[in-house]
Amino acid sequence: MLQNLLEPTPLPPSVRANRLAIGSPEYNEILDFLYDEAEMLDNLRLAEWGELLTQDLEYNAPLRHTRSTAQFDQTYIRTVQHLHESYGSMLMRIKRITDTKSAWGEDPPSRVKRMVSNVRVYKTDKADEYKVESYLLVTRSRFDFDYFDLIPCVRYDILRRIEGSLKLARREILLDQVVIGTPNLGIIL
Amino acid sequence: MQKNSQRTLADGTRISDLINLETREVAMRTLSDPELYELEMERIFAKTWVFLGHETEIPKSGDFMVRDLGSDSVLVTRDKDGINVSLNVCPHRGMKISTLDCGNTQAHVCIYHGWAFKPNGDFIGAPVEKESMHGKLLTKEQLGLKKARVTIYGGLIFATWNIDGPSFDEFLGDAKWYFDTLWCRTDKGMEVLGPPQRFTIRANWKTACEQSASDGFHVLTLHRWLSEVGPYRKPGSEGGGGDLTPEMYGSEVYTAHAHTMRCIELDRKIRRLTGKDPSELSVKEKLEALPPPGVTQEMIPELLRNLSEDQLKVITWRPPQVGNFFPNGLFEFVYIPTPDGVIGVMALHAYVPKGPDKLEFVNWILAEKDTPPELKATMLRLGVQLLGTSGMVEQDDSDTWPHQTIAAKGAVSKHITLKYQAMYETGKPEGWPGPGDVGDGFTKDDTQWRWWQYWHELMTAES
Repeated sequence: MLQNLLEPTPLPPSVRANRLAIGSPEYNEILDFLYDEAEMLDNLRLAEWGELLTQDLEYNAPLRHTRSTAQFDQTYIRTVQHLHESYGSMLMRIKRITDTKSAWGEDPPSRVKRMVSNVRVYKTDKADEYKVESYLLVTRSRFDFDYFDLIPCVRYDILRRIEGSLKLARREILLDQVVIGTPNLGIIL
Repeated sequence: MQKNSQRTLADGTRISDLINLETREVAMRTLSDPELYELEMERIFAKTWVFLGHETEIPKSGDFMVRDLGSDSVLVTRDKDGINVSLNVCPHRGMKISTLDCGNTQAHVCIYHGWAFKPNGDFIGAPVEKESMHGKLLTKEQLGLKKARVTIYGGLIFATWNIDGPSFDEFLGDAKWYFDTLWCRTDKGMEVLGPPQRFTIRANWKTACEQSASDGFHVLTLHRWLSEVGPYRKPGSEGGGGDLTPEMYGSEVYTAHAHTMRCIELDRKIRRLTGKDPSELSVKEKLEALPPPGVTQEMIPELLRNLSEDQLKVITWRPPQVGNFFPNGLFEFVYIPTPDGVIGVMALHAYVPKGPDKLEFVNWILAEKDTPPELKATMLRLGVQLLGTSGMVEQDDSDTWPHQTIAAKGAVSKHITLKYQAMYETGKPEGWPGPGDVGDGFTKDDTQWRWWQYWHELMTAES
């Protein structure tokens, strides 16, 4: 009971038979969505990105644990997570950056590249929803530091078609690091 | 205070010269010096009690987790007799015994040569028993893991290598009277809502920890968004918007071993919720109007039973909301205004030193065991949104500490000083029943200065 309340709604399975062919029109449309989204976020068009979100959004990033190979399925923790957001809390994160003069964690902003790859798209049992898996490698440069923070992750998204346009309804971000190597997740993944 | 001013660094600087006890200044160099760091690991982290986690993280016999006690990895385990903390290093050839984050086992077997240990650290044996792989010079009793001394307090796990040193209660001192109102207020106590968040910040551990000693001033500027668009934006009836100053009034407590806290006044919130003058309300009425974080109406009789009249007075007037366990623990028991009412968030942090220029931020989120599940879920979400890895409050801190650490290396800037010169001049507030040194009114620097005084005391102590 408690576990169910703490954790996000489980994602539907990725069924091989429901996979859309790479290069098919729907696949290309979704790839466009992911590329456009990356461009918006890289260029701080945050309010615009907010318009891509559905009002029932669930957006979360589980913790990872180092466990033995036999316990690989226990390496994801979805009670306490690094991010566990709703539509309202995501808009607050955006507003903090766009509407204040004191979002110091990202002001001055990081220079960020979101490199999207390994995109696979699945139909789901809802006619208007796709499950989309992608790899994301984020490079983040702060101030005059001579290193990049690297944030590699896999994203599991649900994209929903609303009045012809694709919207983000669900995103789960599986980070590779147990101890996150960037000083905060003040950027959107 | 200056027990041994002869203690010197390689360049001839005496440690006692890094702090000016009269003018309340600290040489910036302390925030990055590698030599000081090594000394801190020995003189502070190997001497004091250090916070490692919560007992509800390892509920079953055989459960274990790997944590850091200062610069050393330790195994924190549960067996039928309770919680154990041992060095996570094999006494045979120095391999790390467990390379996992957590698990359950009755035998920790080193993968290198197969030496095996019980959860309590006792040596079970080495492979090929009849060939005496561990030799005959030492007995099995002598070949166990190095064991730390452990205390469980209100569910929190503390350990120390200082086997014959002060008791945990002595270490807490006057802070215990206040901490009991947080950790020991309900019958069943608290639980973690999951494992902690962990992330790395390229900053010296003291940048985070001197702030954790109840720095109020930084909230006004570094966390100003809280009043611009965040939860502390004041309602129109109180002038609206922008200014966090009202949140800075209350009492600040600082104790001999540098455990400190900010006890922020609740009167405005209670007046807003009840429409009444708080001074005309009883303790019970105030608890019912604004229960502490994670506490429901049903649990209020437990508080009335478990806490003294004086403690109840403090938690319904100016409860401890943020503070620290010296050397590297922080707690937050904050009351967050939301559209759905005031929601409490409870979190614990450990700022684990990882070298002179790096720390690991570990963030636990907690609730009372008896907090209803729906409220636990709400507290957890709000905690994640405000604190820790992605927290809209603490991401501003994580971006500040690295700059201080870098600045502390400059040939010139390393000699400038950190200043703690805003001082309480009034003494305890009238009618304040709690122990320790207590300041009244707007936040000051005394709590953080106490942190540095105790740092200095330990760093210059005789043994």
